[in-house]
Amino acid sequence: MARFLTADTALLAVGGMHAHNNPMALVREVVRQGRRVRRLLTSPCAALNADLLLTAGLVDEIVTSYVGFEHLGLAPGFRRAVEGHTVRLLECDEAALTHGLYAGAAGLPFIPLPPGLEVSDVPGINPDAYRPVRDPFGDRTVVAVPPLRPDLAFVHALEADAAGNAVFGGAAFTDRLMALAARRVVVQVERVVPGERIAVHPAGTTIPGFLVQAVVEAPGGCHPTASHGAYAADEDHLREYLALAREPEGAATYLRRYVTGGSEDQYRRTVAAPAGAFGAEVGR
Amino acid sequence: MTAGATVTAPGSGEPRPWTPGELMAAELSRHLHDGEVAVMGTAAAVPQAACRLAQLTHAPDFWYVAGGTCGVNPHLAPLGSSCCDVGLLRADTALTLPDVVMLEGRGDVFDIFFAGGLQIDAYGNCNLAAVGPWQQPTLRGPGGVGLPFLARVRRVLLYTMSHTPRTFVERVDFRSGPGFLGGPAEWAAAALTGGGPQLVVTPLCTMAFDPVSLRMGLRSLHPGVDLDQVRHRTGFELWVPDPLPVTPPPSAEELTVLRQLDPRGILGGL
Repeated sequence: MARFLTADTALLAVGGMHAHNNPMALVREVVRQGRRVRRLLTSPCAALNADLLLTAGLVDEIVTSYVGFEHLGLAPGFRRAVEGHTVRLLECDEAALTHGLYAGAAGLPFIPLPPGLEVSDVPGINPDAYRPVRDPFGDRTVVAVPPLRPDLAFVHALEADAAGNAVFGGAAFTDRLMALAARRVVVQVERVVPGERIAVHPAGTTIPGFLVQAVVEAPGGCHPTASHGAYAADEDHLREYLALAREPEGAATYLRRYVTGGSEDQYRRTVAAPAGAFGAEVGR
Repeated sequence: MTAGATVTAPGSGEPRPWTPGELMAAELSRHLHDGEVAVMGTAAAVPQAACRLAQLTHAPDFWYVAGGTCGVNPHLAPLGSSCCDVGLLRADTALTLPDVVMLEGRGDVFDIFFAGGLQIDAYGNCNLAAVGPWQQPTLRGPGGVGLPFLARVRRVLLYTMSHTPRTFVERVDFRSGPGFLGGPAEWAAAALTGGGPQLVVTPLCTMAFDPVSLRMGLRSLHPGVDLDQVRHRTGFELWVPDPLPVTPPPSAEELTVLRQLDPRGILGGL
């Protein structure tokens, strides 16, 4: 971890959407090491991946279009940090994030958005990210957003081989796009498998190893969020987090009890494993 | 609200009354038609159920994309609570999320976008960002995700489980997703390709928009709800048709299908 999240990591991207495929083993390790994140980029809908870092007070700026827990409630760390002005929010919409990652992956200097999106109030509160530009092919002004090029991306996949060729176990959300756009990629997986197994379905192996700097085998590593193809979200644990993190003292209790008080191996044995966050196929 | 129709639960002899979530799914499904394609996002159990119900009853050639996971025509059964459940890939086919974001921008693919908000105003604008000033919010919401795309879809169907004066406000504090903007003049000047909001379904009533004033008013009251109750729980003046119809309760067929789709009772827990 220390090799990857260095002081010059200006933009860290965390994959996963809502409480699914959050690379929590990697995120927890950032918190254990107390590393500051200068700017955090999320998928269009972040959950515990962003909120735990915000609860731990490690984020200077966040680029996102949503941090919340969907049917379970609002995000306590995000709320406290934004309402208390301890994080700078660079609010975007889904189009700016997704097309911005595409522009980052494709080397485009900027990317215009479909006309009409400018009538929302989002561009007005984030003029650094949304700028008017003359359409060179027509007589009109459109809004453009900058490319997103994470210095480092943490994404979760179901499995990968030692070379980093990685397979998603269900939806890829914007995680594949993040991996294509990022300068360095660390993939967290439920299991490392032999290359021969990956080679059976090359078209379903949608992250090629040449984009990946490290594979971290972390069974149960999405817990308490779901890992597509492996286990469902642990909503009881998420509710415990939401209840505790509402107040600063409770947030400190959560962090001590589940993150900084022990290693990821301990978390895996004492929290993730009893919750069933291992191996068994679910869903499909 | 008083529950109306009852249906016999599978495997038991006891009739169970319908719930507000079931009524809302049935009501929304009646507004979905063959040949249309719908898309939806976060916390979308009600519209997912509505879409599948429409497919299995009156609109077999209706299509829907469950944003997040992006299954196309998810089979549900069981319906889940999260739009990113892997179970939504039990479907006819699937897109990727970047595909869906592209097609939302195309503007001529999706006919219907289901949306909601912490605040919904008299012109159907939605706010998921902040209550109070954006810079100094009294309540910081999660954020609007893809709501700006409401500007580009043929019709917007709004739904919320919260019919209160805090949700239904005269004007949103922040416009995450556009409705009819500030009213007829601003709407005409914006010349958007989208058709704007068409319907709002809550646990109390179904609402629509006046074609001239573009303001929200009542279309029908759900069974057992009275007009004063809706007025007290709406933060602006609603226009009221005369006569004011009652929303048809879910039919026995609708309820049977909904309960097959939702064996965990998620709609009942909303």
